[in-house]
Amino acid sequence: MQKNRCESQITDLFTRQNKEKAISGIWLGTALVAVITIILILGFLLKEGLPAILEIGIPAFIFNEIWTPTSETPSYGIYSLIIGTILVTIGAIAIAVPLGIGSAIFIAEVAPPKFREAVKPAIELLAGIPSVVYGFFGLVVLTHWLRISLDLSSGATWLAGSIILGIMALPTIVSVSEDAISSVPKDFRSASLALGATRWQTITGVLIPSALSGITAAIILGLGRAIGETMAVLMVTGNAAIIPDPIYNILSPIRTLTATLGIEMGEVAIGSTHYHALFGMALVLLLITLIVNLSATVILARIREGQIGSSRAPFLSHDHQNQIKSILLLVILAGLCLFSYQVVGIFGIAILTAILALCYGGLRILSRQSKEKIAFAIVTSATALVLFALVAIIFDIVSNGLPAITWEFLTEGPRNLGRSGGIFPAIIGTLYLVIGAIAIALPIGVGAAIYLNEYTLEGRLTRIIRAGNDLLNGTPSIVFGLFGFAFLVIFVGLGVSLLAGQITLTLMILPTIIRTSEEALKSVPDSLRHGSLALGATRWHTILRVVLPAAAPGILTGTILGIGRAAGETAPLLFTAVVFSKRYLPTSVFEPVMALPYHLFILATNVPGADTQKYGTALVLLVLVTGIYAVAILMRRHAQKTVRW
Amino acid sequence: MKQQNNALETQTLNLYYGSTQALIDVDIQIPKNKVTALIGPSGCGKSTLLRCFNRMNDLIPDCSLSGSILYHGEEITGRSTDVVELRKRIGMVFQQPNPFPKSIYENVIYGPKVHGMKDRKELDAIAEKSLKGAAIWEEVKDRLHDAARGLSGGQQQRLCIARTLSVDPDIILMDEPCSALDPIATAKIENLITELKEEYTVVIVTHNMQQAARVSDYTGFMYMGRLIEFDTTSVIFERPKEELTENYITGRFG
Repeated sequence: MQKNRCESQITDLFTRQNKEKAISGIWLGTALVAVITIILILGFLLKEGLPAILEIGIPAFIFNEIWTPTSETPSYGIYSLIIGTILVTIGAIAIAVPLGIGSAIFIAEVAPPKFREAVKPAIELLAGIPSVVYGFFGLVVLTHWLRISLDLSSGATWLAGSIILGIMALPTIVSVSEDAISSVPKDFRSASLALGATRWQTITGVLIPSALSGITAAIILGLGRAIGETMAVLMVTGNAAIIPDPIYNILSPIRTLTATLGIEMGEVAIGSTHYHALFGMALVLLLITLIVNLSATVILARIREGQIGSSRAPFLSHDHQNQIKSILLLVILAGLCLFSYQVVGIFGIAILTAILALCYGGLRILSRQSKEKIAFAIVTSATALVLFALVAIIFDIVSNGLPAITWEFLTEGPRNLGRSGGIFPAIIGTLYLVIGAIAIALPIGVGAAIYLNEYTLEGRLTRIIRAGNDLLNGTPSIVFGLFGFAFLVIFVGLGVSLLAGQITLTLMILPTIIRTSEEALKSVPDSLRHGSLALGATRWHTILRVVLPAAAPGILTGTILGIGRAAGETAPLLFTAVVFSKRYLPTSVFEPVMALPYHLFILATNVPGADTQKYGTALVLLVLVTGIYAVAILMRRHAQKTVRW
Repeated sequence: MKQQNNALETQTLNLYYGSTQALIDVDIQIPKNKVTALIGPSGCGKSTLLRCFNRMNDLIPDCSLSGSILYHGEEITGRSTDVVELRKRIGMVFQQPNPFPKSIYENVIYGPKVHGMKDRKELDAIAEKSLKGAAIWEEVKDRLHDAARGLSGGQQQRLCIARTLSVDPDIILMDEPCSALDPIATAKIENLITELKEEYTVVIVTHNMQQAARVSDYTGFMYMGRLIEFDTTSVIFERPKEELTENYITGRFG
């Protein structure tokens, strides 16, 4: 009897250990999904793109500015597209960074706390507006306004693209920089004020330098969003594959890499040189984003190192820093002059310069207190402008969309190319896509987070997994679309189908879910784990019963953000899952579906005379996605208020 | 005439945080070029009183006060007082060392730069003088451009004192400057404080009665928002007039 029990205990032990090992293996598998995906993406882009690049020749591909893939004598030079991408991004950053940081300063330091509490979540909510909605607004309102007020033949220009991308990047930049500024320890603020600095001097001398890494991260996030964006730029930049003449002509139409992929991928003959050249282009796009992300990581590391303290000499001596600052300022001013020359003409430039010179002269003689007042006025107006732009977009869509919302619109299929009837199949299609994507992404993402945080120590493997995850996170959504097409639709043979769309979306939202879940798991204190393990619970039991319940709110928030992103995305679905007009709902996952963002895109760009339907679709999409985000924000606030340890 | 010898003086000072009263009818005279210690149990109002002198309480929403505070005989509670100028004259050292996330050098010259000094040579001279004044020059002179947050806690606190000296104040307020430090670092700061009174008026809030006894010339004992007793340190510690003071000094409560 005694012996028996002993044996059974030992076999128990064996199976228990094996079970633990098996569980750990499963989570390792999920953690590797992100790495495998990024390898597959690179592999397929290389496989499909490299032969074309080699055939065309690298110099001819990259540095030839003529992109005429469908003419009699095709030319596959993407130089003008690369320049277009860079120019649009620079313009967007020039708009979004000063406005965004100004608003962040206002919200964090100048505005009364009540204003902050009301505005902060609202701005976070705006970060969730789908890009196709911004593009739609840009197409129907902004380009018209530009055309009329600047007397152009078409308002679809570089300027329009930069404005829309700038507005899109603003919520992220404001929200992340504001977090960075308000998390600067109160001690620094007191120390500076106690030395007799004014509030403005404290902001520029201590708070912003201390928050620099966070603010840089915010700018990089915005930059990433601008470079990788497809739908909004496609809708507002005019898509002429030319280099602006002269190069600073901000009123010239322009075409980006992403827009070219979005426009041409759906119409290209599979296997043609054109097809392969598009993959080569995606490869270049991926490399550009990779370089941006890498340099960002390096810069961030340097900033942090300089602040936390290492014995290394500073990156640049003080005098050099000042020189660089003045040179940068001059370059920026010169750039602004050139750009505004296009818009206001030489006379306007003269007036602007005069005003600037007066301001500069005035600044020298003004007291610190007056400077502070002027600076506060500037950041206040920056905030007002940001809020105005965002409110204008929402107001336009709500006021024009509401009349379209009828019972019929929400419950019937489209008729006459969407000019009448409703959008029911698109709503359901979006729901199917999102539910499917989340059903696949959630277990994989949470599993990967569990593996990274609970089952392994930091080492080479975790570094690889994290790097893979970061790479995947920085991959432009249109690249996911191309990958989904080449891999899932063609190679695996799923065809253009609901399932292919769901998997593509899964891969795209996976990094978000992994990261937020990992943060949630990290915030669970070790004392809880130790308490459970000390009672003899297995590791898996501890995770399942103690850690996961405690981390659930955080994981749920990440999941909801993922849902929001999946619901609003268009680019990854263009070639994998969607059709424009379909009377019936899909009966299996192998059929294509309709989706709200795509429906809006086609209505806006290809169907003349469906104005109410366009606005109605935009409104439904806006409410759906921001509704999902609102739930996430409310849940996070609730979780923050009721932390139990 | 008497006012001339007082760097700071309050008259029936009452202070409220919202509806709770934190200071009740405080009358205190802080003599020039002496070290004055404020002691008392937690929550007695000593830090609040200290923060009145450089108007740091302005930063706390719904904080209001009545009565008057005189700085060299000049009223400083009014709206017309130039708070920025006042804080330049009355420096402050905080409980936790709080150097900015910049280099040692940049920390010290932050104040002068804020007040409009640009000349590099002058700034260098001020940096050296202030760091010497805070008895930390020898330890950091070879690594002025290293990050300040890489220094030890005690060094950081002396750097903060140097930063305070850099704007050439005439009063230095210290809010429990040693509470986050080990005994050796504390001893260094205490030596520094006794040196500082040659040139400056020092007001120090402390929890540590031995520290008050060691460094100060005058001591004020506060309890429940009132200044119970104020006298020379030897009187307070050897023959206090008030029973409350004696009970606190001898460790019967607090």
